[in-house]
Amino acid sequence: MPNKEDNIRIGVFVCHCGSNIAGYLNMEELGAYVETLPHVAFAKRNLYTCSEGGINEIKKAIKEQNLNRVVVASCTPRTHEPLFRSSCAEAGLNPYLFEMVNIRDQCSWVHMQQKDDGTAKAKDLIRMGVAKAALLEPQVPIISEVAQRALVIGAGIAGMTSTLALANRGYEVVLVERGERLGGMLNQLNKLGPTMADASAFADEKVKAITAHPKITVFTKARVTEAQGFIGKYKVDIETESGVKKIDIGVIIVATGGRLLVPEGLYNYDGKKVITQLEAETLLKQGLDKGVNNVVMIQCAGGRTKERPYCSRICCQTAVKNAMLIKEQNPQARVSILYRDMQMYGVENEEMFRDSKAKGIRYIKYEPEDPPQVSDGKVSVYHSLLGRKIDLAADLVVLSTPIVSQDGAEATSQLLRVPIDDNGFFLEGHVKLRPLDFATDGVFLAGSARFPANIREAVAQGLGAASRASIPLSKGSVVVEPIISILANEDACRGCGLCVALCPYGALEIKKTDKGRKVHIIDVACKGCGVCASTCYQHALSVNSFTDDQINAQINAFLE
Amino acid sequence: MLDVGRHPNIDLLAYSEIEKVEGEAGNFKITVRRKARYVEEDKCTGCGACKEKCPTIVPDAFNEGLGERKAIYSWFAQGIPSTHTIDSNYCRQLQGKKCGVCAKTCQAGAINFEQKDRIVELTVGAIIVAAGYDVFDPVKIPEYRYKKIPNVVTAIEFERLLSASGPTAGHLDRPSDRAIEAEIEALEKKAAKSQKLVAKFEEQFNQSSADFYAKFQKGEYKDDEERNKWAEKYKEHLTIVEPLEVMKKKAEGFTAAKRLAFIQCVGSRDFRFYPFCSGYCCMHSIKEAIIAHEHGPDTTSTIFGMDIRAIGKGFEEYKIRGGNHSNISYVRGRVAEIQDGPENNPIVVYEDTKERMVKSQEFDMVILATACAPTKGIYELADKLGIELDAYDFIKTSPLSPVDTSKPGIFVCGCAGAPMDVPESVAQASSAAERAAEVAFEGDVRKEKAVA
Amino acid sequence: MSKDILVIGGGIAGIQSSLDLAEMGVKVHLVEKLPSIGGKMAQLDKTFPTNDCAI
Repeated sequence: MPNKEDNIRIGVFVCHCGSNIAGYLNMEELGAYVETLPHVAFAKRNLYTCSEGGINEIKKAIKEQNLNRVVVASCTPRTHEPLFRSSCAEAGLNPYLFEMVNIRDQCSWVHMQQKDDGTAKAKDLIRMGVAKAALLEPQVPIISEVAQRALVIGAGIAGMTSTLALANRGYEVVLVERGERLGGMLNQLNKLGPTMADASAFADEKVKAITAHPKITVFTKARVTEAQGFIGKYKVDIETESGVKKIDIGVIIVATGGRLLVPEGLYNYDGKKVITQLEAETLLKQGLDKGVNNVVMIQCAGGRTKERPYCSRICCQTAVKNAMLIKEQNPQARVSILYRDMQMYGVENEEMFRDSKAKGIRYIKYEPEDPPQVSDGKVSVYHSLLGRKIDLAADLVVLSTPIVSQDGAEATSQLLRVPIDDNGFFLEGHVKLRPLDFATDGVFLAGSARFPANIREAVAQGLGAASRASIPLSKGSVVVEPIISILANEDACRGCGLCVALCPYGALEIKKTDKGRKVHIIDVACKGCGVCASTCYQHALSVNSFTDDQINAQINAFLE
Repeated sequence: MLDVGRHPNIDLLAYSEIEKVEGEAGNFKITVRRKARYVEEDKCTGCGACKEKCPTIVPDAFNEGLGERKAIYSWFAQGIPSTHTIDSNYCRQLQGKKCGVCAKTCQAGAINFEQKDRIVELTVGAIIVAAGYDVFDPVKIPEYRYKKIPNVVTAIEFERLLSASGPTAGHLDRPSDRAIEAEIEALEKKAAKSQKLVAKFEEQFNQSSADFYAKFQKGEYKDDEERNKWAEKYKEHLTIVEPLEVMKKKAEGFTAAKRLAFIQCVGSRDFRFYPFCSGYCCMHSIKEAIIAHEHGPDTTSTIFGMDIRAIGKGFEEYKIRGGNHSNISYVRGRVAEIQDGPENNPIVVYEDTKERMVKSQEFDMVILATACAPTKGIYELADKLGIELDAYDFIKTSPLSPVDTSKPGIFVCGCAGAPMDVPESVAQASSAAERAAEVAFEGDVRKEKAVA
Repeated sequence: MSKDILVIGGGIAGIQSSLDLAEMGVKVHLVEKLPSIGGKMAQLDKTFPTNDCAI
């Protein structure tokens, strides 16, 4: 066994956790056993190792007993490892020379009825921990500066909101928009539900604020073509009309939006008599033709199908909003909405839905197996409440098509090394708990690039992503736990790239070196999950504090 | 959650209430009442030895009253802070009786019966209101007979029944069956006691009670005082044992609930109560049906709803998967009534609008997807804060500034503003944090840091 | 001008707001009326659509 130090002195602290451990295991036997283990120079039982008294005993023992490793056998590292580590550090011991053994959650609590077996298992666990501790090496946290500048990709409502929020907090922001003007889909919209605020007035207000803001640099008709690096240190190339700009960036927000599906080949779509909701917005902006008296809207046109199984969330509310605006322009108009489920979730949507019924808008449920048929001037549909087919006159048919993923989403995903889901939307770090973060640190997400969002949601997400992105900016540097991947055996690495493909955090890359293609670890991005080390068939990669030697020592100790 | 307890920048004031708010954005003066726990927060290690010894049993609010806890308790096992709390409404010592068992048990010396409420004054630049919501009480809907039919439960009660840390350790035992089992347990204790009394006589007269009683009823031993006592005790014993046997027979046939009905829009989209849609309940029911199916693969679920609103990322796919793999069927319609059926099986009466027929169907259990109601204390809180509420008593915001309340410097996120699911709440929480930081740092011109 | 921020409510929304702000370096006072934070989400067994544990 490779031991760099000859004189390993381990202190082991066995916690009673009141009666949580002591009530179910034989503590005296355990305490006596610990003293017999190799390298153990000091052993102590505490009522609560985590109490002030317990912590002081650890500190005292490190100094008085010259301990150079500490093991605590107690509850769970999930809650208490940080405390014990910092206690070691306070006593002058490198905190990574600490090892925790879980004899409560994974032992006394699960073997409450088996005192002898539980005690035997606790002995195994502590013996394994001690064996590993003997091989621990000191580590130093990795600190990396964060460039004080954010990049926001996409100048729709989410991107503009993020940009302004960060700039108002005092950070420099570079806003890159592929189109000619800022505003994104807002520029095509008429009124914003449910308050019917004017879309262009809202967009203008935001554009004005952005243009006037000294902290914001805007590039339109521009694209991000390169983004090398990692959190805090991105080297970004922006292709503009006046050449390529190279900018250092600390954090990135992806707000590239979505695109409305154009329903080619669906329900006789022609863009004139059969149009999309977005085209209806334009018509309403210009003022509806006098001759339009009968309007039929068809929901889920191209949505909730085999190829696009998801519900696009915002099409029902858009349809209801536009139906009401049609009624406003022509109170005589008969508007019918053919739907599968009216997705008027929440307070405001449901309220608008009720109002629309009071205004005489008709709702007819259809079954996807028996969809409406559009022919010249009429729509026929099976009315499930009547139990028969009915014909509706239609001067205008409006198709509510889903928001689909943005053109170029895949390219952006590759550029930034962040994933997209089955439907082509960007995939956040955790759909429940980290909706605006990517798994990769330093890259964030807002608006319809993530999933279709209405105006309220896009603004909220724009603000939220700014909050998330401001965290590394305000810290100024990233401190990374040094328990990360290391290229333990460079000669063994063949540069095959298997690990690069599997890394969930974009923390690995292949670099050309004098010795050929070798993997390079972006230590700031690595989370120490160990996927790379366990898949590397050459055993070239390893993880600090979980090296092969350390884990083998644990296994051997178990088999003793 | 853990991170909150540990973060050096977070001052966690649990078991506390806002008393008073004064001032403006940038400079609010807040008075907070820290309620007495009768346990010292800095001494309690959360070990729980006290609650093991505490003699007073109380219904457990965390488990929606479906389980029990002690008068000294932790809100839930993984709660942060883990500090225990004494419920002064139940604690014997605090009710003036003699006890103090917890204080004797606590090795950390954390129990302090003399503790008083404390007042804390704070000065803050901005306020975020994340006061949450209440679950609608379906007792208000008489036709669903909640609390009258034992096997009609709310979604959150059902959640506790599904949970491995809940009162049934994750077994889908029906409340009516659990009630009978509890009764059996109580009767068994009583039976054991009376059995002892009867056994004494049997020994004394060297005769079995049944044998003796048969003869006694025929008129033998009428003048024997001791035997009269025996007869009386035995008669009493039979009044316990006979129903006990019947119940035990019945309990042998108890199985986990297999046929589940989920009723959507209970209190939501209902003009009598809340006209709005609560947003998350359709998905909640689908999830509970999927988990119930994981617990028992022969479980079938029927979800009754007007629209099934699977509007989030991955939700529609989840709904379809539930239908294909978890025996869930979706019926369009609003349930008219729940009736009590045989064997405590609730009967759901509804119109299947697709087939245009009124139908009724028997289930093992009915789960009510209750509305997201504004939280009870919200008037008082809004009044203290000086912010406006909307027509339904959610905190008023506008779609274009979704987390700003009517008062500058005060922001809202989560269900206090409107019903929403977890990812929306989390996203909004970050939005509110952003706005609060903007206000708190306003005028704080950031020093230009060297940019590489 | 005070830079501290008050968060009222220790459910998932209050927790997330507090963590974001604390991570930005802001001092947060988190007031919760119940004995522990966690809110309604702590009462959930699992969450849709991933069936992850709620705690």
